[in-house]
Amino acid sequence: MRSQFKQTVMDIAKTDDRIVLVLGDISVYMFKAFQDLYPDRFYNMGICENTLISVAAGLSSQGFHPFVHSITPFVTERSFEQIKLDMCYNGFGGNIVSCGASFDYAWDGATHQCATDLAILRLLPDMVVFQPGSKREVDALIRARYASGGTTYYRLSDHPHAIELPDIVPGKGIVLRNESAPLTVMTAGPILPSVIEACRDLAVNLVYFHTIKPIDRDLVNSFKQTEILVVQDAHGLFEAVAEIPGTRVWRQGLPDAFLRDYGKVQDMRQFVGLDPASIRLAVEARLSEQAAA
Amino acid sequence: MNEACRQIRRDLLAVAYHSGNGHLPTCFSVVEMIYAAYGVMKHDPANPKWEQRDLFILSKGHAALALYSVLGELGYFPPEDVFTLGRKGSIFGCHPDRTKIPGIEASTGSLGHGIGLAAGMALAFKIQKSERRVFTLIGDGESNEGSVWEAVMVAAHQKLSNLTILYDDNRSHARGLPIENPAERFRAFGCEVLEVDGHDVSALKAACAGRGETVRVVVARTVKGHGCKTLVDNVYEWHRRSPNDAEMPLLLEELNAQPV
Repeated sequence: MRSQFKQTVMDIAKTDDRIVLVLGDISVYMFKAFQDLYPDRFYNMGICENTLISVAAGLSSQGFHPFVHSITPFVTERSFEQIKLDMCYNGFGGNIVSCGASFDYAWDGATHQCATDLAILRLLPDMVVFQPGSKREVDALIRARYASGGTTYYRLSDHPHAIELPDIVPGKGIVLRNESAPLTVMTAGPILPSVIEACRDLAVNLVYFHTIKPIDRDLVNSFKQTEILVVQDAHGLFEAVAEIPGTRVWRQGLPDAFLRDYGKVQDMRQFVGLDPASIRLAVEARLSEQAAA
Repeated sequence: MNEACRQIRRDLLAVAYHSGNGHLPTCFSVVEMIYAAYGVMKHDPANPKWEQRDLFILSKGHAALALYSVLGELGYFPPEDVFTLGRKGSIFGCHPDRTKIPGIEASTGSLGHGIGLAAGMALAFKIQKSERRVFTLIGDGESNEGSVWEAVMVAAHQKLSNLTILYDDNRSHARGLPIENPAERFRAFGCEVLEVDGHDVSALKAACAGRGETVRVVVARTVKGHGCKTLVDNVYEWHRRSPNDAEMPLLLEELNAQPV
């Protein structure tokens, strides 16, 4: 997804001289072409995430469209107050683009993992929060939102899916399967292939989101008569769905514990119940409960 | 005492008296600094959004009342409007809000945000090849925050010669984590540093005028509560309180007795 982020920014920068890159010593070489073309709008500002956000807010206040980019926990959890006050409250909006979603850096341990970014940022008024799962989503969402003047979070993963989706519209969820089943599985982001595989022959509805905030309330409401199982690799979607009145929502994934093991993203997903077999067990358990009720 | 600054302090006392709110000692330490900065800044009280204006960011947002009183005296709004400070429906909170008040450029209050914001604004002007300047006022207690020094490093590295940091060295945090030798510290971080008497308007204006090669820091030696002996001698007691009927005449008398 990072390469798509670069391609999209390079493309829109051809016609928009208000784009400024504010990097936290991440993806610096990747953006060399941008640096060569627009040296006065490229800043590898240092490993100082609080200041990256504040500076970007200052740039935004004067009409620029900043992109702040660093590793997920550092640019979100560490800089939460700068995002809240300098960007959101002041109305100096910017684009915050993270890399290393959830367990992408599984081998690096808990310091480099982040499962709370979407959930905490969606609590900030006026923020828009994206969890794209594919390169095409990254491209469409950036183009649609980067110049809005608002504060937007884009969470990039190193493990994008390649599933064909219909039009990507910010704030709109996508119905992948509607069998009028009594159970609807909802998910977001790059974990989609695991969910599809887990549910491949099960009688469930399947709904996908790339936008965590604003959540597509109309779409959720249209499945409100069903039970909903949210399968998520980061906190955020479950809370967004569950707070809509009248929903009956269950959750799969992410125990209340730090992941203290190492490995690859697949290992981490297995640890937290997000591999296809674990997801399938969770879906089957809900279906059994429903059948027994 | 500069007569305009004496009047600004009278306004401050009046607001604190009428509203029951205010951080008087810290406000009294920065009156000359804010007044001097606006004395060299390009700005237009009749047109607060003038596109060529310089910007002032009050990073130590709890001194908002001092900023309101300066802006009031400069004509951004009637000074007595601030009597509603902190009340339901007022545009004037105990920390400044850019979305409500003419002339306020950033909403502040949580310490350690102003330099980063100001650096971004200064960087924007540098990219635009604009002559506009940015001033930000920080406190010594605020400078306990790591984000202050992070932002100073970035601003100095970017050689933001259009950024001036006014450092209120009122020793407010002597009882906590004091910042010893602030001038030396800012120099070590790559800034140009001037040290002045923070209650000398002429010296402050001279320090704020023009621009050098990189970020300028004006370390202003100030006294909390300057202008009223009662405040100076009792800064902790007066940190957040306002004068009552008996105290108001005494404070005004002390203020009026200050030599020109």
